[in-house]
Amino acid sequence: MSEKILMRASNLTASYAADSGQDVPAVDNVTIEVPEGQILGLAGESGCGKSTMGNALAMIAQPPLYVLTGTMEIDGETIDLSTLDSGANARHRPFRGKVVSMLPQGAMNAVSPTLKIKDLAYDVMRAHDPRVTRAEAMDRANDRLKMLELPTRALDSYAHQLSGGMKQRMVTVISTLLNPRLLIADEPTSALDVSSQKALIEMLLAMIEAKIMAGVIFITHDLPVLSMVTDRLAIMYAGKVVENGRTEDLVHAARHPYTSALLAAVLDPTEETRTKHVLGIPGSPPNLANPPSGCRFHPRCPFAMEICSRKEPAMIDEHGHDVACWWAQENPGAVVPMEVSRV
Amino acid sequence: MTNIQSNAVVAETEGPVAPVEPETPKAKARPAWRSLNFGPRLWVSVGIILVITLLAFVGPLFYPYGPDQKVGSIYDSPSAEHILGTENFGYDVIAVLMASTRNSLINGLLAGTLATFIGVLIGILAGYVGGWLEEALMGITNIVLAIPAIVILILISISLQSTNIPFLKGIAGLALVIGITSWPWTARAVRAQASSVATREHIDVAKLSGARTPGILVFDVLPYLASYVVMAWVLQLASAILAESTLSMLGLGVSGTNSLGMQLHWALAFQAVATGAWWAFLPPTIVLTLISFGFLYLQSSLDEVFNPRLRRGKKKNLAAAAKRREEAARKLAEQGDAVGVAA
Amino acid sequence: MGLRRYLVSKTAWYLGALLVAVVLNFLLPRLIPGNPVDVIVSQLGRGGMSSEAQAAIYQQFLEQFGLDKPLWDQFWIYVTHALQGNLGLSFSFYPTPVSDLISQSLPFTLVLQIPAIILGWIIGNLLGAVAAYKGGSWDKSVFTTSLVFNSMPYYCLSIILLYGLAVVLGWFPPGGAYSLGNSPEWSWDFFSDALQYWWLPFLSLLLINIGGQAVGMRSMAIYELGSDYVNYSRSLGIGDRKMTGYIFRNAMLPQITGLALSIGTMVGGALITELVFNYPGMGTLLFSAISANDYPIVQAVTLIITVAVLVANYLVEVLYGFIDPRIRAAKSGEK
Repeated sequence: MSEKILMRASNLTASYAADSGQDVPAVDNVTIEVPEGQILGLAGESGCGKSTMGNALAMIAQPPLYVLTGTMEIDGETIDLSTLDSGANARHRPFRGKVVSMLPQGAMNAVSPTLKIKDLAYDVMRAHDPRVTRAEAMDRANDRLKMLELPTRALDSYAHQLSGGMKQRMVTVISTLLNPRLLIADEPTSALDVSSQKALIEMLLAMIEAKIMAGVIFITHDLPVLSMVTDRLAIMYAGKVVENGRTEDLVHAARHPYTSALLAAVLDPTEETRTKHVLGIPGSPPNLANPPSGCRFHPRCPFAMEICSRKEPAMIDEHGHDVACWWAQENPGAVVPMEVSRV
Repeated sequence: MTNIQSNAVVAETEGPVAPVEPETPKAKARPAWRSLNFGPRLWVSVGIILVITLLAFVGPLFYPYGPDQKVGSIYDSPSAEHILGTENFGYDVIAVLMASTRNSLINGLLAGTLATFIGVLIGILAGYVGGWLEEALMGITNIVLAIPAIVILILISISLQSTNIPFLKGIAGLALVIGITSWPWTARAVRAQASSVATREHIDVAKLSGARTPGILVFDVLPYLASYVVMAWVLQLASAILAESTLSMLGLGVSGTNSLGMQLHWALAFQAVATGAWWAFLPPTIVLTLISFGFLYLQSSLDEVFNPRLRRGKKKNLAAAAKRREEAARKLAEQGDAVGVAA
Repeated sequence: MGLRRYLVSKTAWYLGALLVAVVLNFLLPRLIPGNPVDVIVSQLGRGGMSSEAQAAIYQQFLEQFGLDKPLWDQFWIYVTHALQGNLGLSFSFYPTPVSDLISQSLPFTLVLQIPAIILGWIIGNLLGAVAAYKGGSWDKSVFTTSLVFNSMPYYCLSIILLYGLAVVLGWFPPGGAYSLGNSPEWSWDFFSDALQYWWLPFLSLLLINIGGQAVGMRSMAIYELGSDYVNYSRSLGIGDRKMTGYIFRNAMLPQITGLALSIGTMVGGALITELVFNYPGMGTLLFSAISANDYPIVQAVTLIITVAVLVANYLVEVLYGFIDPRIRAAKSGEK
């Protein structure tokens, strides 16, 4: 790959552990990369582990979620992502917000109701540099707002005084105040109306352009948004990444039947897709506490072969387009035929 | 009186009743009641209440002395015949204690049930019907809440003492007074819940199918409040018992009747504490504390059963789970190493 | 909601409650069948009071209550007298004005209750927040201890403390408010003496108030711990101490309204505590008035308690309006 890699997370495994009963591995031995200056989309059905992965990468996993193993190489540093030892929180805290930052799902309640936006901005800066003065923090926040053409008086407000879209934008500003290398945006647009969605996305793109952050992981089930804003896509199924590559490659030439089905199920009918029969995905995602043997998608896969239920397919790199699928291995270079309908 | 009732307020403001723990897939479905976690606390509190009830109702059958049997003089020290000695009138302390406990429990049951009944009735009407009825009922409730209950209790019972109606001067009269003064807490808590239930869809269905309001209240609203009503009832029982003892200590109790408060009243009046006659005042003090603690503990453990967010993990299970995770992490690390070596 | 509207509505509510309380205070004793003064004075007669004194009391009371006038006029007399600080004359200490007796006991109640309520609230909330945040064995021990104190009736703890610490161990004087031979005055000697007597009743009130507040705060804080803003602040690298501050601030708000609602019960319980310690405050005054059928005192004490509790509640709620930004700073609608 020619691009410089900003972040590589390797062998990431994270489990939900109820205090009695089974552990449920929601992210199972996953390795992903984000190239410098790019937006990586993370997609999949709900419960596939994409938000869990976001939490693990943002180093904010909290019981009952535990990161069992995993390392993150970012910015020349290698961070142990495990949250099992008692020192994990102290080890991770300096990176949070500064190296990896999180843009959370509903910003509605993301700011404490008794805190003004500017106080949160100040607290965030102070958390990473105790020498920062209030005036410096305010200058920085003001500059950032001016740069993004947002009203600076919003800093003086409490969260309840802002509209939903404004709140989400202010939260985005706070999340990126320290110029984090990587921003993890977890469904940032899902609670917004269409025009606020557009404004937020444009703002994120402008921030990437301005090199405020060096990379974004954009988690959503809203695939039209993903295909519009992302440079690369990683598709997750049942705690595993099944396919990963440039967005246009995945959209136009999916190599994994799940990717193909997922995209077909939600993409809006463009000239190209309208004529094809939508495959849909029969069945529902498996129980992660007890996943199917071999390829986890095989019980729902129209192309399942005998080997699929026996052996887990390895991730094969095809010129920067990775796929873990037996069918793809047998049909090198072939696009999953979308119009195939199940009988 | 203690601040038992302030707990009711907390319970009301606490937010969702619904479990908020992440949904972990269950191996197989269990009956709903089995998934309620009846922790050891619940059994401890039920045990305390059971023991005290047995002492009050079964104890006298086996105890050789009656509560109105003069067996000695004032404050005879504990002896082999009278294990806890005698009280100020020369009666056996244990005999009096059992009779007192019985009367206090009966009073608590009558008054607490009455208060719960009134509170639930008013709360459910206000919450379900809404509109001006809600405004009016809650207006009354809030005013009665603002006036210290003890003041109303004192004023009413002092007036009752001068009446000539025997019923009102007895235990039932006292219970009536306590019952009609202590319902507002319950009314408030129930109203909040009832108005949220009133907006649910099944209520609309019931209305459309022609059910009448009283029927809807009993069959469609009340069942959803059952857990709240039970918890409110438990609190009311405890606070009624304490209200009775408060009044009795002030000298407003039912004269000539045994109750835990009367026992303390006489002990204070006859200087038991200053003369060191611990057997005269410690037993009723301890029983009152146990009753109060038992009911409150029961309420808080019921709260945890119905409201799992309050529940904290059990130490033993947590340790086991931590061990399990360590093990899983170690295995993963080994796998990683093996792959590394192979590659 | 807007601060102004909030304040107006609260003021209206408390004025309403005050009116109802005054009416109840006036009306309930008059529900006694027959002429209350007859009942009272006949009871006094049994106490062996001379018929001359009885007649004087009778006359004084007919006048004070205006019993020959219609109920409305009686109420008017009652209210105007009360507003002038005229609470009538005591039966048992005839002809001492009730207001004198009350001004003797009120200070003792205030020095006991105000610190116990305020300190109990502060310490209890801190403990509850820490317990919720730390979890584990900290939580367990704080919660269980608080629950025990919270569920303990005030007087039960008072009795146990009095017996254990004063009678058995002799660390504190066993009851009363100052040494025999001393009398209330503004002098250092009196205060240092009275302080010795003050500790034990104060402690017993304080412990129970701490318990109640800690239990409430813990559940509020656990609820807040799971909220989005905690997760978000954590993801920004904000430290634990700062976050505990956020949680405390938010969980404190309902605790403030909780305080307003529980002042009444706290005061009620504390009255009996005075009784146990024989502390010469309003509770003890009330007790002796009840046993002596001293109606004017009972009525005056209940009135003062009610007014004090309502005023305290009102002040707390007004304070709340200034603290909670959702009331203070209404929606300004930044788009």
